[in-house]
Amino acid sequence: MADAAAPRRVTRRTFLGWWLASLMTATVVTAVAPILVFLWPAPPKGQKKGPLLVSLDTPLDQLQDGTATKILAPTSPNSAFIMADGGGDNSPGDLAFGAFVVKTGSTVEVFAQNCSHLGCSISFVPASDTHPETSFDCPCHGSRFHMDGSVLHGPAAYPLSHLTWKQGDSPNQIQVDGIVLGF
Amino acid sequence: MSDAKGSPRNHGEASDFVGSREITREGPGAAVAAPKEVEIIELDGHGGHTLEPEWKRLPIGPDHILYPLVVGLALFPILMGDAGHHLADDMPDDETHPFFPDHFWPYPIIAVVMLITVGLLSAFVQKNLQLEASADPRAVTIPRPDWYFLFLFQFLKLGNEFIFSIGIGTVVIILLLVFPFMDAIIGPRVARRLGWKKWPVPGRNIITGTVFVAALVLIALLELWALAGPQFCLPWFVNSPVCGA
Amino acid sequence: MAIPHPREIQVAVVDWLDERYPFTKAVDEALYQRVPNFANAFYYCFGGMVFILIVFQLLTGILLALYYVPDASSVGGAAAPAYTSVNFIQNSVYLGWLIRGVHFWSANILIIMVLLHMARVYWTGAYRAPRELNWIVGILMLFIILALALTGYLLPWDTKAYFATEVTIKITAGVPIPVIANLTKELLQGGPVVGPPTLQRFFTLHVFVLPALIVLLMYVHFRFIRAHGIAEPL
Repeated sequence: MADAAAPRRVTRRTFLGWWLASLMTATVVTAVAPILVFLWPAPPKGQKKGPLLVSLDTPLDQLQDGTATKILAPTSPNSAFIMADGGGDNSPGDLAFGAFVVKTGSTVEVFAQNCSHLGCSISFVPASDTHPETSFDCPCHGSRFHMDGSVLHGPAAYPLSHLTWKQGDSPNQIQVDGIVLGF
Repeated sequence: MSDAKGSPRNHGEASDFVGSREITREGPGAAVAAPKEVEIIELDGHGGHTLEPEWKRLPIGPDHILYPLVVGLALFPILMGDAGHHLADDMPDDETHPFFPDHFWPYPIIAVVMLITVGLLSAFVQKNLQLEASADPRAVTIPRPDWYFLFLFQFLKLGNEFIFSIGIGTVVIILLLVFPFMDAIIGPRVARRLGWKKWPVPGRNIITGTVFVAALVLIALLELWALAGPQFCLPWFVNSPVCGA
Repeated sequence: MAIPHPREIQVAVVDWLDERYPFTKAVDEALYQRVPNFANAFYYCFGGMVFILIVFQLLTGILLALYYVPDASSVGGAAAPAYTSVNFIQNSVYLGWLIRGVHFWSANILIIMVLLHMARVYWTGAYRAPRELNWIVGILMLFIILALALTGYLLPWDTKAYFATEVTIKITAGVPIPVIANLTKELLQGGPVVGPPTLQRFFTLHVFVLPALIVLLMYVHFRFIRAHGIAEPL
């Protein structure tokens, strides 16, 4: 042990100590770095982003005000929608396997089915005697959302995520931004 | 490790150790210069344990047909390394008993009983083992965790997602890990402030004992709340009412 | 030449071993060491029960691995091989229901026993010096057991498993810093969603990483117990 009061001096011994320490650090880094890179998931072959064609039961212009139509991402090839925005557990770029096409007034919006709390699939519940307000309800932790996607009841703190979409070639077809998963 | 307090029974081993240290202190050359006679390897640390006297043991010696079985059993503690100074070494004989067979015999019975229990459960309670439909990300289901995570599932509903999951979770994990140190450092100070003579173990301590029981009650209540089902709702400070799962 | 009695052969073998290692002495000291009478109380055997159950888990786990296929890719909407293989184990493999049942039920009882053991250690103050490190090792093993329960839950690849895992991953990735959250999520899922890569990762954790870790920690746990002996009674 070196004398604490004496000025620090690089001796042969301290130099060798540091030399050995750096060698060992380098060994660990060269071993761990490729492992970390290896763990990072590579996209499978055939994964590609692009618009997904989805057919609706009722043509877009005949959708009734205050209703929601559920759509699912195509299964062959296995695909998912990409969220355009998000909050809470959803963030832009996250994937959704289902969505709701909602008409409120003159606007049509498409919401991902994932609850912004922990991502369970919400369901559309029209107003009834026991359920005074039409809403999207999450079965997992009891969150509820208004028809415009905003929060009606917690624990969710953020609105539902929108999907980017446009009218397809035929009146009951829409194109939603999505991804072919490749598995 | 074997004996920090210096047991009177351990003197043989200890003096050997001091002796060997003196040899190395004489300088780097000394150890090579005068090799002593080759010693037979001895297990350290066992010296001084009171063993069951030979005449009282089960007659399963090296010449007995069951000896390999006994060896198999003994391999386990041998693999587990040196025995330190144990409590039993300082206790009178009538307050202790030998590990084999007096302490060992219930375990084979426990093992068989447990095996039969899980066997019967698998035969007659297959409901829990039958699968649902193959995973489909487009399906709408309520994921309900197994019973051991159910109270956490319910806990999540009670407030902000981050605080009630990772936030409090991390705090609880850290508290559990450092609990022995908190008990040793904070405990005696609390005891002094309260005018107690010492800080007892949780089983005799109104504070740590109550904390333990309260934690259990909290977990049990959350679990029951979740088990009561989605129709069972209670008012709560945030997101009221909160329902079961 | 007279044929030696088997007993003589056994003694010769033991003698041969004794010349090379103090074998008989070690066996005697391991077996005939004395244990305090208070350790006969039933609540002192919870730890032993946990050990027995972990042995059940390792054995049945190896057996299940003979038939299980960790493949979640489904072609043309058909059930994934992971799902069909678990169904095969449960309904077709001879005594498959028993082996899987023992694995399942032992896991459940294991968690109860771990908690009871932990409660006993806490209540009697057995975590106190010099046993603090063993408490820490025990807590780590508790979390490994819970992680094993969690990763094992996904392997049958049914709807329940799928969504429970999705929520769990979301919770783990619930850090309010998006970069870290996404990183954790991608690494756990092995992709943008819970899918075949997730199953592969959970399978690796459940079958290779976590059992190896827990066996290692059990060894440390037992070595500590052997060094410290049983703690003072309440």
